[in-house]
Amino acid sequence: MVGQVLGHYRIISKIGEGGMGVVYRAHDEVLHRDVALKVVKKDAGLRPEASQNLLREARSSSALSHPNICTIHEVGETDGELFIVMELVEGKSLRVLSGDTGLPHESVLRYGVQIASALARAHDRGIVHRDLKTANIVVTPEGLVKVLDFGLAKQIGSAIFEEPTRSFATAGDASSVSGTLPYMAPEILGGDAGDYRSDLWALGVVLYEAVSGRLPFEGRTGFEVTAAIIREVPKPLGPPVPPGLWAVVQRCLAKEPIQRYQRASEVQAALEAVQSGAIVSQAPGPDPSVLNTTVLHSVRHAQVKKGDFLLLIGTTKGAFILRSNTQRARWDIGGPYFHGHAVYAMAYDGRGERRRIWASTHSYWGTVLRSSDDFGKSWTVPREATLRFPVDTGVSLKNIWQIVLGPEDRPDLLYCGVEPAALFETQDWGESWSLVRGLFDHPHRPRWMPGNGGLALHTIILHPQDRQQIFVAISSGGVYRTRDGGATWTAQNRGIRATFTPNKYPEFGQCVHKIAMHPDRPERLFLQNHWGLYRSDDSGENWNDIANGVPSDFGFPVLVHPRNPDCVYVIPVESDQFRCAVDGRLRVYRTRNAGNSWEPLMRGLPQKGAYETVLRDALVADSFDPPGIYFGTRSGQLFGSLDEGRNWAKILDGLPSVICVRTAMVDDATSGIKARAAAHTKSWQTRDSGRATNKSRATRNT
Amino acid sequence: MRIVFHLPEALREFGDGQSRVEVDVPAATLGDALAALWTRYPGVRDRIADEQGQVREHINIFVGDENMRYTGGLATSIDSASEISIVPAISGGAEGVQKSVMRSGNKIRKYFRINSAVNVGA
Repeated sequence: MVGQVLGHYRIISKIGEGGMGVVYRAHDEVLHRDVALKVVKKDAGLRPEASQNLLREARSSSALSHPNICTIHEVGETDGELFIVMELVEGKSLRVLSGDTGLPHESVLRYGVQIASALARAHDRGIVHRDLKTANIVVTPEGLVKVLDFGLAKQIGSAIFEEPTRSFATAGDASSVSGTLPYMAPEILGGDAGDYRSDLWALGVVLYEAVSGRLPFEGRTGFEVTAAIIREVPKPLGPPVPPGLWAVVQRCLAKEPIQRYQRASEVQAALEAVQSGAIVSQAPGPDPSVLNTTVLHSVRHAQVKKGDFLLLIGTTKGAFILRSNTQRARWDIGGPYFHGHAVYAMAYDGRGERRRIWASTHSYWGTVLRSSDDFGKSWTVPREATLRFPVDTGVSLKNIWQIVLGPEDRPDLLYCGVEPAALFETQDWGESWSLVRGLFDHPHRPRWMPGNGGLALHTIILHPQDRQQIFVAISSGGVYRTRDGGATWTAQNRGIRATFTPNKYPEFGQCVHKIAMHPDRPERLFLQNHWGLYRSDDSGENWNDIANGVPSDFGFPVLVHPRNPDCVYVIPVESDQFRCAVDGRLRVYRTRNAGNSWEPLMRGLPQKGAYETVLRDALVADSFDPPGIYFGTRSGQLFGSLDEGRNWAKILDGLPSVICVRTAMVDDATSGIKARAAAHTKSWQTRDSGRATNKSRATRNT
Repeated sequence: MRIVFHLPEALREFGDGQSRVEVDVPAATLGDALAALWTRYPGVRDRIADEQGQVREHINIFVGDENMRYTGGLATSIDSASEISIVPAISGGAEGVQKSVMRSGNKIRKYFRINSAVNVGA
């Protein structure tokens, strides 16, 4: 070919050869510049229609203009030969640069940011690379990254991707096309077409390889590599690789696309954050933590007095306090507190002399735990977050999902469940918090995966008699139990199905949405899983399916009746993909025989077009007899029942999306109060819900 | 060396209520300047950076008109004429911030990224 003229390109020399064809340096006789010219092999396995598709793909890719994408100038066909004219990039491939030992992590971060930026641009234009690997990423002597062959793999690939899967055992040379297999995402190996998230998987492989010089998934045969990609967890990248970079790689290499970053721009931002972190950490630290108090203005406060009953509502845009008396008929609304902050966890602490409301607030400024001792009129503003991961963990707090009080006689003791999944404890009334290391250092922890809402420890259950026993639930990690006060933890997931892993009954890794226990029957637990409704009669050692007659066993909350250990409430949603009330009918399901059968409760709930979702902490009961049951929806409605679910009424609508609902009795309920409450049960549902609704409109300004 | 910081509304309660803060300190990089800022106003640090010292994902810091993410991160060099703006990426509820930025005459709106809504797990 050398010396020949293709169109107006004179071929000067051969640069290289890959599975797809031969690449030449050529001179553009019209524009007087050197270009790279790739001639697609006639025997590259392309059918006639595939070559037309290739032309179309390449033309659309040629519209991509980005400093880190090798520009495609022209795509043509001459004498039956396809050729692609590209920007001539001089430099070394990342494969070559990585060598056997990898590059300094600073360089990898610098290159990674550029690769992610290139992917972000292409994905925005609907173009998926599909063959990202270190061999087709070139770094120029100036340190500029160029990603080659965008959008070309789709058509070429369909013809030749099958081959490497078979021939990998003999190929082994990563620079040839058969080296592609180690970069393929599990879903592609599973037969899916894959999408932009498969590129993010490949980016994870690229970063891993660039920083370590080795591939995350290896094997002697194609079969072994495939098996490793589908099942294995890559060997951790220890120091000097910063934990932040390892975390980014791990998230890119999540087996399920939904658990990866969802956009290349997120990977870019994460890598940039790691980049800047290395410098920030050298800055001098601030003064020790000081608690400020801020008095909020232009917020309506509920006037709470002794004997009042409260509902604490955490939403995506702030918190609300609903006040009523023991009749729970009329409601005053306080709030919104923490404008624009998401409140995932609230709790009322009335132990000892205290009357304290706890709330976690989450925004792009971070997550803090705050409290109010005057029912919302003022809240603490920790100058430095009181709940934080120690620096040596390499982990940062993302959110606080659960606040749980210690026993009545230990008012100093509280627990928080957080994201990323970990348990924190305070023994000084919340002044200082410490990470429960026994769980954090559990060997399973690196293999827990984030669910849709993140990797969260969202449920903490203290054993009512045995102070040493605590149950926690993690999405996606499963149920864990300690019997020695938190020093050691055991996974307790036998019988719980994981729909999203090849092994349907793994030791751990299940996406448990909620667990519940009745204090009178502590050996028995109920569990709402990501698909699946279970009961354990042996403290979580074994779980049995109890989805007998629910329309769907997918849902978030599970609530045990406070006075009847056999009575349990769930609110099913249609499916993983469609997380809305089944058939648009909002129904609570109740069992009164510990799950042997379930009945729908719907009186007073919308039964048409009600595509509602109730999140895991948005269903609660109060302490009256009979108990009031309450739940909030993602559409901002709050429903309640004072007769154990037979009749429901809307207490409020127009709230922001409800995340959690908690109840509080200001001062302990006495038997006299309980009696009065019972007498008024029936009057509530119809009489005052409308009035409360009107009030809610006045507060709809978040 | 006098460095000017523009604080968004959300951080003013940690900066004596001011939207414009001047710190007089020798600083070669943005990292030095920020360290000086939170030595004086400690509450600002945890809002901008996490426990690992990484700038929070949805916080942008601009030196003049340039986002530090594209100019070398916290190693971005600064001089006495530098004005540093701390801005949350726009995603619901940032209206006040946007207004304050507009008032300060910066042209930084073009760098704002649109972020997806908070995901609460369903």
